[in-house]
Amino acid sequence: MYHSFGGLQAVDGCSFTISRGSLAAVIGPNGAGKSTMVNVVSGALARQRGRVRFDGSDISGWAPHQIALRGLIRTFQISREFGGMTVLENLLVTAPDQRGEQLWNALFRPGLGRRQDRELVSRALDVLDTFDLFALRNEYARTLSGGQKRLLELARAVMAEPKLLLLDEPMAGVNPALIDRLGRHIQRLNEQGITFVLIEHNLEVVERICDHVVVMAVGKTLATGRMAELRRNPEVVTAYLGGELLERATG
Amino acid sequence: MLLPPIIYEIATLAVFFCIYNVMTWGLNIQFGAVGILNFTYITFMAIGAYVAAVLSLPPQTPGTGVTYVLGLNWPFPLPMIMGGLAAGALGFVVGLVALKRLRSDYLAIVTLAVGSIIYTIVGNYTQLFSGWDGVVGVPEPINNWINLDLNTYEIFYVAVVLAVMLVAWFFTRRLFASPLGRTMRAVREDADVAEAFGKNTFRIRMLAMVLGCAYAGVAGALLVGYTGAFSPDGWTVGETFVIWAVLLVGGRGNIVGTMLGCFLIVVVFVEGTRFLPTGFLNPNLVATLRNMVIGGLLILTLRFRPEGILPERRRRYTEIRRASPTAVGAGAN
Repeated sequence: MYHSFGGLQAVDGCSFTISRGSLAAVIGPNGAGKSTMVNVVSGALARQRGRVRFDGSDISGWAPHQIALRGLIRTFQISREFGGMTVLENLLVTAPDQRGEQLWNALFRPGLGRRQDRELVSRALDVLDTFDLFALRNEYARTLSGGQKRLLELARAVMAEPKLLLLDEPMAGVNPALIDRLGRHIQRLNEQGITFVLIEHNLEVVERICDHVVVMAVGKTLATGRMAELRRNPEVVTAYLGGELLERATG
Repeated sequence: MLLPPIIYEIATLAVFFCIYNVMTWGLNIQFGAVGILNFTYITFMAIGAYVAAVLSLPPQTPGTGVTYVLGLNWPFPLPMIMGGLAAGALGFVVGLVALKRLRSDYLAIVTLAVGSIIYTIVGNYTQLFSGWDGVVGVPEPINNWINLDLNTYEIFYVAVVLAVMLVAWFFTRRLFASPLGRTMRAVREDADVAEAFGKNTFRIRMLAMVLGCAYAGVAGALLVGYTGAFSPDGWTVGETFVIWAVLLVGGRGNIVGTMLGCFLIVVVFVEGTRFLPTGFLNPNLVATLRNMVIGGLLILTLRFRPEGILPERRRRYTEIRRASPTAVGAGAN
């Protein structure tokens, strides 16, 4: 994949594969091109050069909503809940294939939407329950605390019935206890069959829960493998300027 | 048969109330539900009015100085339906240009520009809708069958607009309560995120645009049926401002709120001038004072109650849990 912003080559020949069912991470120093990769893969940025294949299809150049309907769901770096809607509605709206979203059905066959809503409400409440957000279901999403919004992001993504969840820095700015909870939710969902790709800076979490790691630097793939091996890779260590990685290797 | 004047005043109020309701519900769909900033909403009302007018007028009589296209003498409700369709079609075209990539303020500016262009074309291209003088002598809907005298017809027309308003109310409620309405609000809240969850935000926006403009067209047709004449005076930028005031004061996203805002504004508009001493006030000043009052209401609302008098209702859903042992308080709310 290649992508440039004017004179800045943000992604410069980066290439990697994620296997179905894995819990993977893409790590790398700031400016490595990770966010650009996420935006290109999910269709938010127009494709320039390179291809993206997902679940047997070439999705290069697809619109974001088409990619999402295919089963590739991405989240954003900052929590972007639908603030003016309730927590329950935040989940209801992301469910795919809603008959009631067709204009004709909405105006002339309201029963279809209502019937489907009953199913969706039941499923949404179950999901809210597993995330411990049930009590907040009728609160406006904007009134939630930062941590609750993080959980809502994940819960909402689950409702979309994803095959692959691309999480953009899900642990950024999150307190340690919540990091733990989020990590366990991700592991549980992974066991249930969702493939995960985490863009993360928190290497501790990555080491703990991920089975495959891709390291990016200056727009290219630097190395891939398990976190433990990567810590011993001199190129990777240098890329991180001998910071955290080096500490781990010695301590 | 002549009834006491108060009856006719109430009839006028009622007619304007119903017409403005339909109009503002259309804008509520565009802005309240989806968040589209349409600053030329009045243009779509105008198109609806003009189309309905030239469809119900007989062919133009030469020498009168009134020139217009068509003139097909169609009976009610065809001109009204065509007015709605024409406005919807125009909304579609504007939407194609403005909604594909533009957001909020850019969209607002583009709609202003479009409105300005259309206004200038209609005013100058006299063969279309008789230019700046406008069309006159538009026949009253249905009256060619029942032949009421003009006074009784005024009362009858209340029933006509009320019927249309009730139909509009019925469908608007359904729309807002449907999953489509919910998805519309999600697009309003955060279009990028909605897109990332599989919603075709362009389609949603176009739907709202076309529907809302169709409402405006129908309202315009009803208006021209009542006033019998229509000219560019009736759709200046100031008019869009009044509709926005109704929407924002009453409550965006709230259908009943719109009715409330409408009631307030229409009462001020039509009745407010009665309490001003006549004689030494020239008509232009009266219009300005009206706008000042409405502007004042709008400022107060935005300052003290920005969501409007009746804010958007929080949606609750009937909760039927299937096989979930861990929930506390599961069941219908």
